[in-house]
Amino acid sequence: MGLQAMSEVTQGIAKITLIGEVDSASAGMFKDEVDKVALQSPKEIVLFMKDLNFMSSAGLRVIVFTKQKLGAEVPIYIVNPQEGIIDTLQKTGLYHSVFIVDSYPVKG
Amino acid sequence: MKSKTFPATVESLAPIREYLTGLSEAAGLDKKQTYNLCLAVDEVVTNIFLYGYGKSGQKGVVDVYAEMDENQLKISVEDDSPPYDPTKQNLPDEEDLKEPLEERPIGGLGLFLATTSVDEFKYEYVNGRNRNIFIVKRSSSK
Repeated sequence: MGLQAMSEVTQGIAKITLIGEVDSASAGMFKDEVDKVALQSPKEIVLFMKDLNFMSSAGLRVIVFTKQKLGAEVPIYIVNPQEGIIDTLQKTGLYHSVFIVDSYPVKG
Repeated sequence: MKSKTFPATVESLAPIREYLTGLSEAAGLDKKQTYNLCLAVDEVVTNIFLYGYGKSGQKGVVDVYAEMDENQLKISVEDDSPPYDPTKQNLPDEEDLKEPLEERPIGGLGLFLATTSVDEFKYEYVNGRNRNIFIVKRSSSK
């Protein structure tokens, strides 16, 4: 299935949309988008994952890399991830360091 | 027993997941079990491709075998790279997994996911081949 990764930075908010599957063959595309948005020193990162069907540890490594590259003070929002991905984030403890939300901007 | 051979390259990851998904459907596994089986196998074969064959400079294949009975689906992945037992590696413990992301090592999660995402994970070295075994209980047998 492969991966489509797109990004934009608007008013300091970096939005990355991931569609398809992140594995070791495709994680480089995800990382490229992180590198691209990092150049603009965003104050928030938002990962849209509604249509991401699979993410291996290669994708988790990019999330860890994102946090380390941008710093603890830049929050990472993960929007609408599928059940399998939520389980992986929980099992590996990444859940505690990101915000999993149903929509963005966050309501309420 | 069913089997399929894949070239040892990361381009095989998606076709392997597709093959496993078909086997899982035939075994009546639910969506979560199927996802976790794909994840576990993906992590191990990635390791074989990048570090097993990759480090030794070998080109090769992985053979994926499937056996099903009324209780379980058993997937065995065999390869010819140097012996490597995932069960003997230092995996992250509960304390490591509580570390904030900014203080974590970047790697180490793959084998943790591989060995914890299925009901049983085993490793054998048989006839000069690594054999990683993934067992998932069929819902009706739980």
